[in-house]
Amino acid sequence: MTGQEMAFLALGAIAAAGGVAVVTARNVVHGALFLVAVLAAIGALFLLLGAEFVGWVQILIYVGAIVVLLLFGLMLTKAPLGRGALDNQQRGIAAIVATGTFAMLTWLVWHAFGDERITFVRAVRTADIGNALFTSYVLPFEAVSVLLLAALVGAILLAKKD
Amino acid sequence: MPITQTPEVAWRAIAPALALAGGGVIALLVIAARPKIHRAALAALSLAAIGAASWSTFDLCALRYRVVMQGSVAVDGVSLFANLILLVTAAMTVLLSYHYLERRRIHRAEYYPLLLFATCGMVLLAAANDLILVFLAIEVLSLALYVLAGMARRDAGSQEAALKYLLLGAFSTAIFLYGIALSFGATGTTNLGRTAVKVASGGVDARLTSAAMALLAIGFGFKVSVVPFHMWTPDVYQGAPTSVTGFMAAGTKAAGFAALLRVFLVSFGALQWSWRPVLWGLAAATMVVGSILAIAQSDVKRMLAYSSIAHAGFVLVGVVAGGREGLSASLFYLLAYAVMVLGAFGAVIVSAPDGRERLSFGEWAGLGQRHPVFAGAMTLFLLSLAGIPPTAGFMGKFFVFSAAVQAGETPLVVVGVLASVVAAFFYLRLIVLMWLTEPAGEAQELGASPAPALALALAAAATLAFGVYPQAIMDLARAASVFTG
Amino acid sequence: MSLAWVLTLGALLFSLGIYGVLARRNAVLVLMGIELMLNAVNVNLIAFDAWIRQGNATGQIFALFIITVAAAEVGVGLAIVLLVFRRRETINVDEVNLLKW
Repeated sequence: MTGQEMAFLALGAIAAAGGVAVVTARNVVHGALFLVAVLAAIGALFLLLGAEFVGWVQILIYVGAIVVLLLFGLMLTKAPLGRGALDNQQRGIAAIVATGTFAMLTWLVWHAFGDERITFVRAVRTADIGNALFTSYVLPFEAVSVLLLAALVGAILLAKKD
Repeated sequence: MPITQTPEVAWRAIAPALALAGGGVIALLVIAARPKIHRAALAALSLAAIGAASWSTFDLCALRYRVVMQGSVAVDGVSLFANLILLVTAAMTVLLSYHYLERRRIHRAEYYPLLLFATCGMVLLAAANDLILVFLAIEVLSLALYVLAGMARRDAGSQEAALKYLLLGAFSTAIFLYGIALSFGATGTTNLGRTAVKVASGGVDARLTSAAMALLAIGFGFKVSVVPFHMWTPDVYQGAPTSVTGFMAAGTKAAGFAALLRVFLVSFGALQWSWRPVLWGLAAATMVVGSILAIAQSDVKRMLAYSSIAHAGFVLVGVVAGGREGLSASLFYLLAYAVMVLGAFGAVIVSAPDGRERLSFGEWAGLGQRHPVFAGAMTLFLLSLAGIPPTAGFMGKFFVFSAAVQAGETPLVVVGVLASVVAAFFYLRLIVLMWLTEPAGEAQELGASPAPALALALAAAATLAFGVYPQAIMDLARAASVFTG
Repeated sequence: MSLAWVLTLGALLFSLGIYGVLARRNAVLVLMGIELMLNAVNVNLIAFDAWIRQGNATGQIFALFIITVAAAEVGVGLAIVLLVFRRRETINVDEVNLLKW
């Protein structure tokens, strides 16, 4: 087992355990903190897979901004504690659907990619990402700017008090 | 360090989207500079932006069909025809909105830029030739619509509509994205044209593409409200401000179906044998469930929501029929549906003064005696939704069903006709109520102002014209049913 | 490193996200479930990107867009959640049912 594989196993274990904790936590703030662990592990995984820029963006935006927003949301809405208060009655059905999805997707990827290996991973430089963004993906990039503007205006509009 | 190249931008090809986004930005700047500006001026500005977008769409028709912007945008018949539907929808929505919003005291100037951004997203979605852009365009239009649905901030129904739409919309987008990721893994590209080449060459894992297509279908199914992914539709359509509901019903459906057609026919066209039976089942279920559930409704907006679900099924019949016939029939249907559903929701808007609307069936009793012209227009829209000649809805159904028969899908047509018969029942119930019952209570005025009245008149004229002289539009749709990819 | 193992992690996170969306009643926790699903997609995209290793890093760019959109979605989502909370003092999706769920 190579060092890369061991690192992946460790990060994967953190992400998986953290993911389980996020969806079962009885305390909403703990849930959000477990989410931080998952997101950070995934960010590290991106670095491991040679996606340096995406890895750092993942940590900056997701851990730095999105989780903080979610925590604000939880505090401002005085989220209650305890499983009864946080979960609905469909836990059994949800577990069946989730397990089924997992089994299906896992079977699928092992069938299709069971023998495939990610060999030597060359890190993609941030400059390459920038070049690609402003040549091949310039229209999607502009679409994102419209999206962010709409989201900004919309969020202020809905949340501000009269 | 390589010298950065400047991107090639096909300005003319993306001009419609640019006009809409630019109009939205200008409107926001105007609002920022002059917060007290009369909102009618913003409505006029929106109409101007929509006009500019229409003009540049018209300008595009002269060009040869091709793929531009590094393969991410397709200029072809389907995207141009979809632009036509979307811009008509947006213009009618602006006409219907202004007085409605003022009367309901939704004093939000930002409504107009958001409407333009949503339209921009729809226009991009209809032309998107790369799954990345498909996703982003869906998000542009969805985010704007989440906010628009919650625009009546003091109204609990509107807030809940926004919450429900957001949570289920985001959930469906996540599923859709997983589908894109699997498709990317299977083919190594997100470009629809290159995906098609790869899929046709046969070097792709069939199970993987099937799973990708299934997840993509779920994502699209949510957006265009196909059974069993329709749960959000009645609540959101009922709770959202009625002008937004009409816009959502007509616009999202047209743009969503254009993208669905493009993804399935261009990218996965070689795998028709695998997805066609699935869409067959979805079409049948959607027509039947939408029509049956509509009967039980006593709220006009909710009834129209279920009717919009059923109509998604009829469009799907055209998709299942496939080929040029099926494609052109679907396009015709989408245009006809946009006109008649905007008319129907517009009639709900106009039905009462003071921003109150006649929502329960009982309030429509006897309207035929008191306001014959208005009741006549509503009757026309309902007849068209039911698919009774001589209306646009009838011709739409006629074209999709005959395309399906030609394609050998007669059983699906039988299901469709039976569903139409069931559906006719609840439209006729409202018509009978308007014309054959005595008016109850005191006489109620209508809330008709010039702009909404104009929109209703245009919708009525189009509904009738498409029914009596469908050939011109059908020729246009047939000429437009070409993909370039 | 085996590609399938990374994809399995993606599938696991996706399924956990689905469970979270379906089983939670607090709207913010539902949003967290959706974030898990989006991260699962990103894991898949980055893994495929590293495996394909083509020139223009499509998978990575797509992942960047998804992260951006996720942030925008959470922003609008929380605005709506606050709006609902101010009026009804609850953001449990099964209690917010003037309209049927």
